Amino acid sequence: MRLKSVRGLMAVAALLTGTNAAEAHIVAARLGDFYMGASHPLTDLQDVVLWIATGVLAGTLGASKGRWLIPVFPLGLLVGLALGPVFGAVSAQLANATMMLAIGMLLAAAVQVPTIVLCAIAFAVAVTRGAANGAELGPETDRLLFGAGLGCVGYGAITLTMALTAAFRRTTGSVTSWRAIAVRALGGWIAAIGLMMASLVLAS
Amino acid sequence: MSLHIPRVLTTAIVSFALTQPALAHEQAGVAGGLVSGLLHPVTGIDHLIAMVAVGIWGAQLGAPAIWILPITFPLVMAVGGVLGVLHVPLPVPEVMIAVSAVILGLAVAARLRLPFPAAASVVAVFAIFHGHAHGAELPRAANALAYGVGFVTATGLLHLFGIAIGALTRWPAGERIIQGLGAGIAGIGCYFLAQGLGAVA
Repeated sequence: MRLKSVRGLMAVAALLTGTNAAEAHIVAARLGDFYMGASHPLTDLQDVVLWIATGVLAGTLGASKGRWLIPVFPLGLLVGLALGPVFGAVSAQLANATMMLAIGMLLAAAVQVPTIVLCAIAFAVAVTRGAANGAELGPETDRLLFGAGLGCVGYGAITLTMALTAAFRRTTGSVTSWRAIAVRALGGWIAAIGLMMASLVLAS
Repeated sequence: MSLHIPRVLTTAIVSFALTQPALAHEQAGVAGGLVSGLLHPVTGIDHLIAMVAVGIWGAQLGAPAIWILPITFPLVMAVGGVLGVLHVPLPVPEVMIAVSAVILGLAVAARLRLPFPAAASVVAVFAIFHGHAHGAELPRAANALAYGVGFVTATGLLHLFGIAIGALTRWPAGERIIQGLGAGIAGIGCYFLAQGLGAVA
């Protein structure tokens, strides 16, 4: 019994002497830019709507086609981040609205998009959104860490959305089952949002 | 155990009852755009009853109207919204919106069974007028995308609400209730029509 308490005391002493100051401030450790890259797209409605639309489209086409997006989408985000300064803000908004309209229409019409077209759409979405996310970066931001965070969240978001959609749809059978209709109605809504946004961008 | 559910219900009711309206500043930014878009379709009674009537009528007509409607209606309405945003004039928009409530209400009350292309055309024309009104009244300060998301979501939810009510058609008594609702919608539409024509101040 006594031996146990001595051992316990020794363990506590060893732990206390071996402690280092906790570096809770990740910004100071230069990891803040990673988290900024990971959180930035989640705060922008354009990213949220377009990423979900792309993930849902891939999910409805099934895992065999959709799995190509797992590398393609994060890669597109990184390419867009690198090409950021090439794109202008206004043209990016119009491009986003057009892509929302196109993806929404494809979803609403339940079109069986070929894998190569799906990859091209996802890559285009990722490049424009990567560029938009990189456009607001200051010179002090570590673009490598920001890109790593952006790529990680892109991978996670697209994979999760695809998986959830595929699980929701269950089968690729009837296009008039209520589950398929729900996904197609979501596509109709996304297309309508894209159309409204395009007109507002053109009118402003 | 049986006490738990009433407790949860009471808590939910009390929390809803105690909520305060969100006072968005001049409806600017993302939050303002979202709130403005969500509220716009539900704050005008003439719009609201017509949207619900579309859902009920779709449910009465059955397939394929019941599933084509939620997919295409927001899109057609957005076309009208584009015309409104671009300030393309439409003839007597307020009167047409009231007429839509009257006709859709009568269609529900009379269980009017039009062939699908005819019903779709009627609804599409009205959808363009409703969308035009929403687009024309868009607050300029609002975030465009947020307004679109709110507007389309609220419209879609109103249809789903109408379709859910339309599910009552499975029971004979439910069918009577729905017909009564249709007559009520047509009646309210008549009031707005009279207002639009200047008969009611």
